[in-house]
Amino acid sequence: MNFARRICAMHRQNVGSTFNRKFGFSASNLEATQPQVQEGKFDFEDLKVLERTERRKPKIRPFMKDVFVSVFNKDLLAYPEFINKEESECLNKTVEALESIFNDSTKSRNDRKQALLKTKMYAAPVSLTHGGLAMNYTESLRCLEVIASDIILAQEISDHWVGLEALSKGLEAEQYQQIIDHLISGEQTIKLCLKERISEKITQPDFRTKAEINSQGIWHITGEKVCISNTGYLLVLCSVEAGHLKAFLVHPNASGVEHKDQFVSFRNTPGTPLGTISEQNLSQILGGSRLHAATLCRTTIARAVKACVDYVRPKFLSGKPLSEVSSIRATIGNGVLDLYASESAEYFTAGLLDMYEEPDAEMEMAMCRNFMLKHGLSRIIELLEIPALEQEVECKRVLEEIRQLAAYGDSSDSINMFIALNGIHHAGKMMAEEIKQIRNPLFHPTFMIKKIITNRHQEKDDPKLELYLADYLHPSLRVPSERLEYCVLRMRYACETMMSRHGMEVAKAFTELNRLAEAATEILAMSAVLARASRSYCIGLRNSELEMKLATCYVGAASDRVKALIKAIEKGEYLNLDCFTTMFGKKALDATTELVEKPIARTFW
Amino acid sequence: MATKILRTFLRSKPSNYITKRYESKEKSLITYDPFWNKSKKDKSSYLEVIKMFEGRDIRRRGHVEFIYAALKQMDEFGVKKDLEAYKALIDVLPKGKFIPTNIFQAEFMHYPKQQQCAVDLLEQMEDNGVIPDTEMEQMLLNIFGRRGIPLRKFWRMMYWMPKFKNLSPWLLPEKLPDNTLDLAKMAIQRIMSVDPTVKINIYQTEEIEASIDKTWIVSGQSETQKSLLAEQNQKQPLVVKGPFDVYMRDQVVTYFTLIGEIRPEHKDNRDIDDVSNIDNPPGIPGYIGSTAIPTIYNTVHEQDDGTIVAICATGTSSRDSLLSWIRLLEKYGNPSLSELAVIFTLTSPSSSDMITQDSQVTVDDEKRAE
Repeated sequence: MNFARRICAMHRQNVGSTFNRKFGFSASNLEATQPQVQEGKFDFEDLKVLERTERRKPKIRPFMKDVFVSVFNKDLLAYPEFINKEESECLNKTVEALESIFNDSTKSRNDRKQALLKTKMYAAPVSLTHGGLAMNYTESLRCLEVIASDIILAQEISDHWVGLEALSKGLEAEQYQQIIDHLISGEQTIKLCLKERISEKITQPDFRTKAEINSQGIWHITGEKVCISNTGYLLVLCSVEAGHLKAFLVHPNASGVEHKDQFVSFRNTPGTPLGTISEQNLSQILGGSRLHAATLCRTTIARAVKACVDYVRPKFLSGKPLSEVSSIRATIGNGVLDLYASESAEYFTAGLLDMYEEPDAEMEMAMCRNFMLKHGLSRIIELLEIPALEQEVECKRVLEEIRQLAAYGDSSDSINMFIALNGIHHAGKMMAEEIKQIRNPLFHPTFMIKKIITNRHQEKDDPKLELYLADYLHPSLRVPSERLEYCVLRMRYACETMMSRHGMEVAKAFTELNRLAEAATEILAMSAVLARASRSYCIGLRNSELEMKLATCYVGAASDRVKALIKAIEKGEYLNLDCFTTMFGKKALDATTELVEKPIARTFW
Repeated sequence: MATKILRTFLRSKPSNYITKRYESKEKSLITYDPFWNKSKKDKSSYLEVIKMFEGRDIRRRGHVEFIYAALKQMDEFGVKKDLEAYKALIDVLPKGKFIPTNIFQAEFMHYPKQQQCAVDLLEQMEDNGVIPDTEMEQMLLNIFGRRGIPLRKFWRMMYWMPKFKNLSPWLLPEKLPDNTLDLAKMAIQRIMSVDPTVKINIYQTEEIEASIDKTWIVSGQSETQKSLLAEQNQKQPLVVKGPFDVYMRDQVVTYFTLIGEIRPEHKDNRDIDDVSNIDNPPGIPGYIGSTAIPTIYNTVHEQDDGTIVAICATGTSSRDSLLSWIRLLEKYGNPSLSELAVIFTLTSPSSSDMITQDSQVTVDDEKRAE
């Protein structure tokens, strides 16, 4: 009887999809699995140099944005793999050449600069026809990892690459042609001047740098930016008429540029506009600096892990090696886990950017940066506690590097807002009708009853796992893949809860948005980690069984974090105590005296 | 006349008749007041009188009457907020004699007059906000025993009084300053505590040559208020409103406000339920906020009746001192005031007996000043 009921109640479509999943052969991915032959783009005026072949796959839906509505692109669990054999060999050669200089502590900064010039690093993203390497994101990340042993040079080159990319898209061909040779010579690099001082007056706009065009058609920039130096070319973000944003290139020694402390001010400075690039493309290209920042941060933590290992190895405690202390092992192990997750997420994102047409991975880049910063900052404190007292100088240097990277570009709060608001904007578009009905329940009683029934599993924090992610990974990863699936399925519910609670005002629920962004960031890391471990194990990479353990362990811990974050969103501000913490913050901001009395104070004797 | 009658009616405290029901004829029959002939009226002389009473007679006859008389004199001797004086008075009562020794005594209020006297003393302490201490508990215990009414009163006081003591968010010192300038400074600080960035400046009207009243001005203005003042529409005049009263315990300070126009309120006509287009920021690193100048009502200084751009208390509260205030504001960081018209709308103060300033000139007319 029960069996008959189950058969009758089973949805036909569901049966079909389950059958297809288990036994069917699908042709939907046929195109992707077929070898692709594409013609190279020839520059017929200069037949000696061929441009690099573009082998991008057709455009896909944005990956992480879709996760906000619990849609998961399972194809990506194969881990984006873009570089072919020749490219890989070429990259390895470049990396080897760089490593020989950058890993040698006896070499000076000048030697390193020479190495960067020799390997054409100053022209890495420039096309082959312009004398560059036409490097993509994946390759540049690999090179940046090596360069990151000199953090100042690495930051400089990261800005330079992002600037070059923006110029190639934004400048007119003639203008680009005129300056490109000078730019790739390494004499003068491009620095990004994007961030501004926070407004200090109530009647000031948040973004104040303006560019105005005069009667002769020349743009002049006025304003102030945060930038560590004013040497070389400056890529300045300005507002033009009607609040639109445009980037301008300021040439070296341009008039009206002054540098004081960490600020560069412009007074009627002439600038070349990057006119052919849209605001959206500009943000995608400049967002690349976030991906680079993640890599720089990761390499700093990797150095801290190595320093700890070097410190612990020759030390002893009660006649036994110090390395046998399990708490020390656990601290270093956690560091390794974070490094593995971050590395996976970075290359995963780079793969997304390189593999598909018109990639929409701005959010993923921001997530990589925030992931590494959030985990990195706490992890580095733990790691540095091991040799803290004995290697003070080294510890201070690493902490300073991390602090610089954390403050570089933009704050993690504003990035989290960007991630969450973009995600919820995407979810809002897809769920608008549903949310309207939820917010007006008395007008839609039938819908509400249906909603109560469909949401019953979510409300019990036990969603039905219907994405079957395990089918796209190695079978040993079934359990962690189910944990990931749980997290993905909870995201739509979290968005629904937030939007139905706040409506359009959701954009102001900052504490909840922060949680949503953190949860989404963890999901990206989990997906990347699982995809990477599965790939490594399937193709038999060295130590791949360790990767499987790393992945399982990471997903176990991260899914618990996501569970807690989404539970806190569901509870609302009174139960998750946000209401009180914000109130304490307000009190502290408003009070001019101490908030609470000392514990030895009395009201009577 | 009618106002005076109403005020007298409102000020009368009917509760006093109930609480002081034991102020019987016997007490008013005191013919000799030991406090009366003291030339120096301070704490030491007050305690000296109590000591003299204790030493005069081993039986301490008439101690209840003495305590009532002493309680009346506390204000005059300036000890009404002094715990030591109250303890000295309690100490006048004999120890052990009033402790009930059986159940009937305990139930039917042993030595009622003495107990009521102690309760009245505690009541006066409560009215004056003096929190007793544990030593007083011991004293009351030794006098009336643990079933005595005064001890119950004491325990209730010790439950509530500490709770009320620090309930006010504006901390005041135990003793308020006697100087009106310091008091005014405190008052302006309290009013301006809504904005932690505020700066309190003390100006002297001597700085303005044309001023007639030579006095001080305590002026409070934050950077936000300066910006709001600078953005005021030049066609619309600012208004000086006041005087208003602010209470610092039992002291009153009169203050004035300079009020401007409020910026328009933010109007969002979007359907709050339609989430199909939630605002999302551009992802350019380092770009936050907007490029437009904020023009909407969003600070604590913008209230329904106008934007409070500055606040002050002056030594004389006169129109001339307020005119000097406007000129001093213009001199110190508000140059836009030279372009703005200012209207003075000063009404007479609510009650002349509460004013703590040196003098108070009231102006009933409206006058436009350049």
